[in-house]
Amino acid sequence: MRWLLSFLLLGLLSVVHAVSSSGNKLLVVLEELADKAKYSKYLADLESRGFKTTIESPKAEKIALFELGERAYDHLLLLPAKSKGLGPNLTPKLLLDFINAGGNILLTLDSTHPTPSALVSLLLELDIHLPTDRNALVVDHFNFDTLSAAEKHDVVLVPRPDALRPDVKNFFKGDGKGGEVIAFPRGVGQTLGNTSPLLTPILRAPRTAYSYNPKDDVDGVEDPFAVGTQLSLITTMQARNSARFTVIGAAEMLEDAWFDAKVKRSVGMGGVGSDAKQVKTSNQAFVKEVTGWTFNEIGVLKVGKIEHYLNEVGVKSNVTNPKIYRVKNDVTYNIELSEWSWDHWEAFTPPTGDVVQLEFSMLSPFHRLPLKVASTTKTSTTYTTSFKLPDQHGIFNFKVNYKRPFFSNVEEKNTVTVRHFAHDEWPRSWVISGAWPWIAGIGVTVTGWVAFVALWLWSKPVPLKLTTSGRKIQ
Amino acid sequence: MRFLRSLIPSLLLLGAGVAEAASSWNFDEAIISVTGKGNTAGAFKDKLSDHAPLAKPVTLGSADSLKIILTATENGKAKRPHQAFLLLRDQDTGLEATFPFSVKDTGKGKVDFSQKDLPAQLLISSQPLRATLLLASFGSSQAFSNHVFNLDVKPDPNAPLPKYEKPLRYGKLEDIHHIFRADPKSGPKIVSMFFVLAVLATVPVLLGVWAYLGANLDHLSKAVGAAPISHSLFFSSILAMEGIFYLYYYNWTLFEMLPAAGVVGLVGFLSGSKALSEVQSRRLAGER
Repeated sequence: MRWLLSFLLLGLLSVVHAVSSSGNKLLVVLEELADKAKYSKYLADLESRGFKTTIESPKAEKIALFELGERAYDHLLLLPAKSKGLGPNLTPKLLLDFINAGGNILLTLDSTHPTPSALVSLLLELDIHLPTDRNALVVDHFNFDTLSAAEKHDVVLVPRPDALRPDVKNFFKGDGKGGEVIAFPRGVGQTLGNTSPLLTPILRAPRTAYSYNPKDDVDGVEDPFAVGTQLSLITTMQARNSARFTVIGAAEMLEDAWFDAKVKRSVGMGGVGSDAKQVKTSNQAFVKEVTGWTFNEIGVLKVGKIEHYLNEVGVKSNVTNPKIYRVKNDVTYNIELSEWSWDHWEAFTPPTGDVVQLEFSMLSPFHRLPLKVASTTKTSTTYTTSFKLPDQHGIFNFKVNYKRPFFSNVEEKNTVTVRHFAHDEWPRSWVISGAWPWIAGIGVTVTGWVAFVALWLWSKPVPLKLTTSGRKIQ
Repeated sequence: MRFLRSLIPSLLLLGAGVAEAASSWNFDEAIISVTGKGNTAGAFKDKLSDHAPLAKPVTLGSADSLKIILTATENGKAKRPHQAFLLLRDQDTGLEATFPFSVKDTGKGKVDFSQKDLPAQLLISSQPLRATLLLASFGSSQAFSNHVFNLDVKPDPNAPLPKYEKPLRYGKLEDIHHIFRADPKSGPKIVSMFFVLAVLATVPVLLGVWAYLGANLDHLSKAVGAAPISHSLFFSSILAMEGIFYLYYYNWTLFEMLPAAGVVGLVGFLSGSKALSEVQSRRLAGER
């Protein structure tokens, strides 16, 4: 019996292991099913993290991203295909519909397989530009692997990427200790349009790298497609509905051969590193992080409870989330945020230098205030702020609009009415010093009236005797 | 002898190592010149060194164009490298622009550019741009990279600076705090107090004048003796009415006050008619 129990426990444990927060149905599009062996470690990693993978060729008839109007899969992995297109079931329009329906796509490119023009135009629509030459690849004469690419220099070695900006969390730094190397073999570099805030590069090419076409630019490159850090090797696009689209320029970096390859760096800029030692690539761990981000295993935020209530004179009101407030009320707002990290929800803290902000706005924000941590539990953090409502009546919104690179979008809006002061909520007249003479006047009038009534009822008339000059004689 | 023989393999290795290190890219004769339109007298010309940058920064004015001519060499022999780039880096932001050389098969390469070829961000840099020369190619020769000079870009002081509009990027926005309208203010309290005292001072003046003119309460005992209930009720209802007005001012609502005022008014009316008929009786008796 005990073996049955332990079996059950093992089964349960494997279910509880790392899983995506948005579903685990993954479609892998692979043209030559024989290539499955090349990516066996990567696919096994995906299976062990709980993904239910379906591997299909793009030409298969039963491949369908949508079924009866709903997404049939949660994630899509596109590996390079030799043919000119991806078939009628994976047109760019269907891929865009898939993203708009909330599905995540991981697209891999390869310089040895020319990218289908349909995909090139799809990427152009997202403002990701590919070289016009179909065989272009990224080389770097200062950062290549001397063991496998001593002559051709087409295996570019890059370190783990730094944080994009000081206030952006770096999900791809491994254990952060440095000294790691990622191999990017024979990949396609992309350039990103400058205007879109939805595009973020994960991995940029080193300063000395460039993209060239081995067929045309044999002797020298005079007009390269792009050079240096303008080349993005791994690009991400997070749509406004938080669906993720990642382009990995080198599909070969997902292969078993590169997951634990031994590489040796070449001599870098300025002659550094001439005594480099053999190291193992960190491709497996890095690809796990890139895939994990794309398939919603990391970097996903969730909003729990939102509460706002009146908090005048330090007295917390019992009514939570009333629909109506008054001008200049003191109000407290609480929001609960969690972050999904591989297989569990945990408390969310924005990176240092970044802050979650609350906007209290009608057409434009009247207040934009930083939210402070009120309390933390194992699965969430509650952020709070207290403020005075503006002295403007109208329909206002409590808006938390937290959009950051690599985090899913948090947009929460609660609408409340802010009414005027009621007739009996104004300061009373005895508080207004300018009214005192008038109040005194009323009191004087009342006193005079009562005295008059008393005298009129009960005063005995006294005849008034006056002298010739008008003075009274007692 | 055996010792010498054992030395030979290590000598060979050493020789091989030296031969390996000797193969590297470099350049001969790199001449940098800055020429302006119609300003040949003030032209700048210098030779670049392969181991040290130029001591003084090279100035590039708005009408000038900078040209570098060099001959790339691999292992001492003139050869065309695959990559011959001039990198210009903004020291403030780290942004780098690249100008590729156009190199002939003989290894002679030339690059030239002027201010209009530079991106806007580099034109408005506050420090000189750091220029690095890269010469590299496929194969095992070590590539060349060196900081060769600094470029000081002097934009035209008369022309407006190129506007660089920062594109939208998601991040923290500025705090906004609503500025409230000032509360309505009363005048100085001392002025209010003065007028309060002036108003209050009228009461003793009034009572004093009445007393001077002979006001008294002599008929109170007579009136109370003749019609005690009416007079007391009437006067109490006068006082009660004032009390109701005070409560209405303080915190009563209209519909709390109206019933009370109705009752008190009725009492006042009924008792008042009796009280006033008593006053009439005194008047008819000639006492008023």
